[in-house]
Amino acid sequence: MRRPPRHVEVADIMGTAISVHVIGDVDSHVFAAATAALFDELRLVDRVFSPYRDDSDLLRVARGELAMVDASPWVAEVAQACAQAESDTGGLFTATWAGVFDPTGYVKGWAAERTARAHLAPLLECPGVIAAGINAGGDLQLFTAPGADWTWNVAIVDPFDRTRMLATVPVRDGAVATSGSAERGAHIIDPRSGRAATGAASATVVSASLAHADVWATAAVVAGFDDLGWIGRAGPTTGLIVDDAGRVRRWLDGVEVGVDPVDQAARRIFSIDLPRASSSTSLSR
Amino acid sequence: MKKIVYAVLATVSGLVLLFSYRTSHIDAIQPVAADTASTSSSSSGSSGSSGSTGSETDNGTQTGSGAQTDASSSDSSDPASGATDSDAGAGSSTGLSDGTYTGSSANTRFGPVQVQITVSGGQITDVQVPEYPSGNPRDRQINQRALPVLVAETTAAQSSDIDMVSGATYTSQGYLQSLQSAIDQARA
Repeated sequence: MRRPPRHVEVADIMGTAISVHVIGDVDSHVFAAATAALFDELRLVDRVFSPYRDDSDLLRVARGELAMVDASPWVAEVAQACAQAESDTGGLFTATWAGVFDPTGYVKGWAAERTARAHLAPLLECPGVIAAGINAGGDLQLFTAPGADWTWNVAIVDPFDRTRMLATVPVRDGAVATSGSAERGAHIIDPRSGRAATGAASATVVSASLAHADVWATAAVVAGFDDLGWIGRAGPTTGLIVDDAGRVRRWLDGVEVGVDPVDQAARRIFSIDLPRASSSTSLSR
Repeated sequence: MKKIVYAVLATVSGLVLLFSYRTSHIDAIQPVAADTASTSSSSSGSSGSSGSTGSETDNGTQTGSGAQTDASSSDSSDPASGATDSDAGAGSSTGLSDGTYTGSSANTRFGPVQVQITVSGGQITDVQVPEYPSGNPRDRQINQRALPVLVAETTAAQSSDIDMVSGATYTSQGYLQSLQSAIDQARA
C-alpha cells in the first residue's frame, strides 16, 4: 500500500490554521526553509490586508491615510482581482460592502495559492519529493510531481457534522475550496440582498486555482442549491453543493451529473454494509 | 501507518463516526433489487416526496422551483432498473446482491450521463460514470476530470485513506478538533 512519508507543519495565521504538507523524502532543512518562507509571507499578507489591525495597508487606505500607489502593490492587485471576480460571477461575489472595499473573503484563498506556488511547488524539483500542498483553513492548493505515483485523496467535510466527511475527490494538481456557514456562523452575505445567504449549507469547488475555486464556492452558496446556472460560466470546475436538508448536487465542467437514482441505491446498500453501524440508530436532518 | 490512523481516530470519539457516516440516519435495510419506487421514496426520508410530481429524470438544467429539482424526489426511475446481475449474492448476510447497477441516464447538453456501481462480496467496490458522449476533445477532457464521490457510494475502506480535508473555514481553535488535525498528527 502506498504510504510515502509525510511532512507537516502547522501555523496559526489569519485566524485559522494553515498546514503545509510535503509527501515523499525531503531534506529537513529544505522543508523548514520553505515552510518558514511561506508562513512569513502569509503573515505579511495579513499585515497588509487585516481588517483587525489598525495599521494594515487596507485600513489606512480606507481611512485615506495611505494612497493606493503608496500601499503594498498587493492591494491594487487584489482590488483588481476582486472586481474581476464580481464581474465574472455576475455579482454573486463581491468585495465591496456599502461602498467599502473589504477583500477578506478573497485574500485567504489568493494568499494560500500565491505562497504555495512560490514556496511549495518548487520543492517538486527536489529528488524524492512526490507532492506538496497547503491547507488554509479547509481550502487547498495541491501539487504533484509529473509522473509520480500519487493522487491526493481529498475529503469534503459534512457541513452538518464537521467530524464526518461527506464525499471524496481525487486531485493531482489543483485546488479545492469549500464555503458555507462555518463554525463562525453564517458568514456569507448575499450581495444582492445584504442578508446571509440561505439554502445551501456548503459548496465545494475543485479547479486549477484556489483563488478561483474560492470565489466560485462563495458564489455557489450565494446562488443557492436550486440555482446551478452559474456552473457554465465558472470555467472547468468540478464540485458539489449541499442544501439545508442534506441533499447533494454535483457537476463536472458546467454539467450537472445526475446520479441520484444510484445515489439512493448506494445509500441503502451502504447502510447495510458497515458493521460498526447500528441499524437501529436513526438520526434525522 | 493505517493502524496509527485508526488509533488516533479511536481516541477522538466523534471521529470514529466518520466511518459510519450515512449509516446512522438511513435505516432502510432492503436489498436493492427488491426496492420499488414507493419504498425508496419513503426510506430516503425527508426531502422529496412532497415535490415529486412524477417528472422524468430531471437533469438539473432546469432549476425550477424548490424541491422538485432534487433528483432523489424523482421517483419515476427504478434505481435497480439497470441491474445486470442481481441474483448472485442474494444470500449474503448484507442482503446486497453482487453485480453491476446502473442508474438512470440524465440528459445534459453534452449528452447522457450515467453512473454505475459494482457490488462484490456485499460491498460497493467501484463507482463509475461510464456513459459520456465521446468523440471530441472537449468530451474527453470532461471524462478525465474527477467527480466527487459521496461516502455513501464508496466502500468503507476508502474512508480511511484521506490525505487532505476541505471544509468551510475553521478557526484556529476549530482546527484542533478537525479531521485535518487528526490526519496531520497521525502522519507527521
